[in-house]
Amino acid sequence: MATKTGTFSGDAEIVSWRGDRGRQVDRCIAWFSIMGAAIVGLTVLAIANIAMAELADPAHLLEVAASPVVIGSILLTFLAGANAVLLLVLFGTPLAYVLARSRPSRLKGIVESIVDLPLILPHTVAGLLVYLLFMRRGWLGAPLAEIGLAFEDAYPGTVVAMLFVASPFFINTMREGFEKVPVHLENVARTLGAGTFTTFRTVTLPLSLRHLYSGAIFAWGRAIGEFAGVVMIAYYPFIISTLIYYTFTTEGIRVSRSIAFVVILVSLAVFYLLRRMTRLMGRYDDRV
Amino acid sequence: MIAFDRVSLTLGSFRLKDVSMTIGQGDYYFIVGPSGAGKTVLLEAIAGLHLPEHGRILLRGEEITALPPERRGVALVYQDYSLFPHMTVADNVSYGLRVRGMERGAARCEVAGLLERFGLGHLADRYPGTLSGGEQQRVALTRAVAVKPDILLLDEPLSALDPITQERFIDDLRRLHREDGLTIVQVSHSRRETRLLATRMAVLIDGRLVDEGRADVVLNAPKSREVATFVGIENILDGTVTANEDGYAVVDAGGRTFEAVTDAAAGEAVTLCIRADDVVIGNGGGARNTMAGTVVAVVEDGPVAGVKVDCGVELTAVLTRRSVQDLSLAPGTRVTVAVRAAAVHVIRSLS
Repeated sequence: MATKTGTFSGDAEIVSWRGDRGRQVDRCIAWFSIMGAAIVGLTVLAIANIAMAELADPAHLLEVAASPVVIGSILLTFLAGANAVLLLVLFGTPLAYVLARSRPSRLKGIVESIVDLPLILPHTVAGLLVYLLFMRRGWLGAPLAEIGLAFEDAYPGTVVAMLFVASPFFINTMREGFEKVPVHLENVARTLGAGTFTTFRTVTLPLSLRHLYSGAIFAWGRAIGEFAGVVMIAYYPFIISTLIYYTFTTEGIRVSRSIAFVVILVSLAVFYLLRRMTRLMGRYDDRV
Repeated sequence: MIAFDRVSLTLGSFRLKDVSMTIGQGDYYFIVGPSGAGKTVLLEAIAGLHLPEHGRILLRGEEITALPPERRGVALVYQDYSLFPHMTVADNVSYGLRVRGMERGAARCEVAGLLERFGLGHLADRYPGTLSGGEQQRVALTRAVAVKPDILLLDEPLSALDPITQERFIDDLRRLHREDGLTIVQVSHSRRETRLLATRMAVLIDGRLVDEGRADVVLNAPKSREVATFVGIENILDGTVTANEDGYAVVDAGGRTFEAVTDAAAGEAVTLCIRADDVVIGNGGGARNTMAGTVVAVVEDGPVAGVKVDCGVELTAVLTRRSVQDLSLAPGTRVTVAVRAAAVHVIRSLS
């Protein structure tokens, strides 16, 4: 009942406001914005909460931020994520193209489900899958250990776990991009003398660069945020999430909170910059 | 030059069935048919973009059924132009030369003359998204011509253009065909384009090739009733031959008899096709078929007018608007209608 009354008085306010200013307010958009504000508000509140606590003791924050362990861990996380994304771009792009251009079939349906699997699985399950396959006695871990590539508690383990959990984000975005390139453009390129790969390289891929870029950012974001998937195979070396968990369990809330705050600031800055850079590429898209 | 030998092809829910046709060197070949008949698929099959399930495709007598598009020497222009949006006009046009290994600078020099010829010189550095529909179409055509194809495939190239641009474009196409000797295959559903440009044509209905041959023959003497309807023959009458003397047959078409030139024997069911411009109102000057009738409608269409006359069966004549005024034709006017026996095309249902 209270809500109802509130709505009515809200309406009356909007009407009178319109009367005063002679401008139109779309009530639907107004309500959508209010509801949206709740979501954004939650994040802002959470960050404000941690910021208040951290900024009260800037000396401690600086000390944590400047510690080689934290800096090293952040760099390692970003690097391992980038490494996973690089592998994804290399191997996921051809797969995305095949999925975008093939006709629906049972086999395609199965492949699509496999691609999406990391999205659905609990992260601990994903971590176990990666661990069992790449551990020293695993199907892939054993032969790779023979040639000197160890995954357990090692950088390659981090990368491969990140690759696994991030793959659907890249592949699906890339595929969407390829689907948006009209087949007619490829057909024309073919008749003009370009082979399939040349067509892909000169027409399809350049027109999908935006999707490649945002797919890579999605995947990278997903990769550097991973905890459970990574921790099973590579507890060491510490990536951000394992480091925060480790300090939380050994040194308590104060240090882990400071690391978390540093990570928030760095991530916000990096992703904001990466998003800004999207504008620089594939402008012709808008004019098609 | 290129021949289809009983080609069948399934694409999703669509099928091309048993298509056989021959496109000769220097032809301006039209593929016409209603929407959804498979014209574009047929065009893409010529380009090598679809692999037929049955049948063979021959180029100069050599089988090329499985030859990929890039090695066929055919260039394709789509209805939606399909310009590469991330390349300038000059880069679009020189694309074909560059993928053949020519340097960027050399390719641009090579196409500079072509751009001028098609009036695109001043647009060389613009992106397709900033061009008008007519300009985009010219770029698409120039890009196709730049690779000097053996066959140029055009998919309804005029349908999205305004009438004035269409006229210019038709002139361009005619020049390409006559002066450059290019073999052109064009998909269209415009009768006017067909009459203006086609030397040979095929009629495709529901995935089947129902008629093929010289354009004037298909347009004026179609093989079947559905082709006659599609190519726009105004008077189509079903009847039965009652007598035939030395190739002059008498056909009873719903109470009115017509004399026509055919070998159909007495008793055979036939369809008569009479073009509206062969129906003469006024003194027929000794035409075999002369009959009295009453005007039921006059439909003006620019400089000409269609006059429907009820003379037992309904016949449509086409006159200039001026003639309609001179003869003071209006619904209710009594007139004499004349049709030469040779102007009546007979479709034999058995053939």
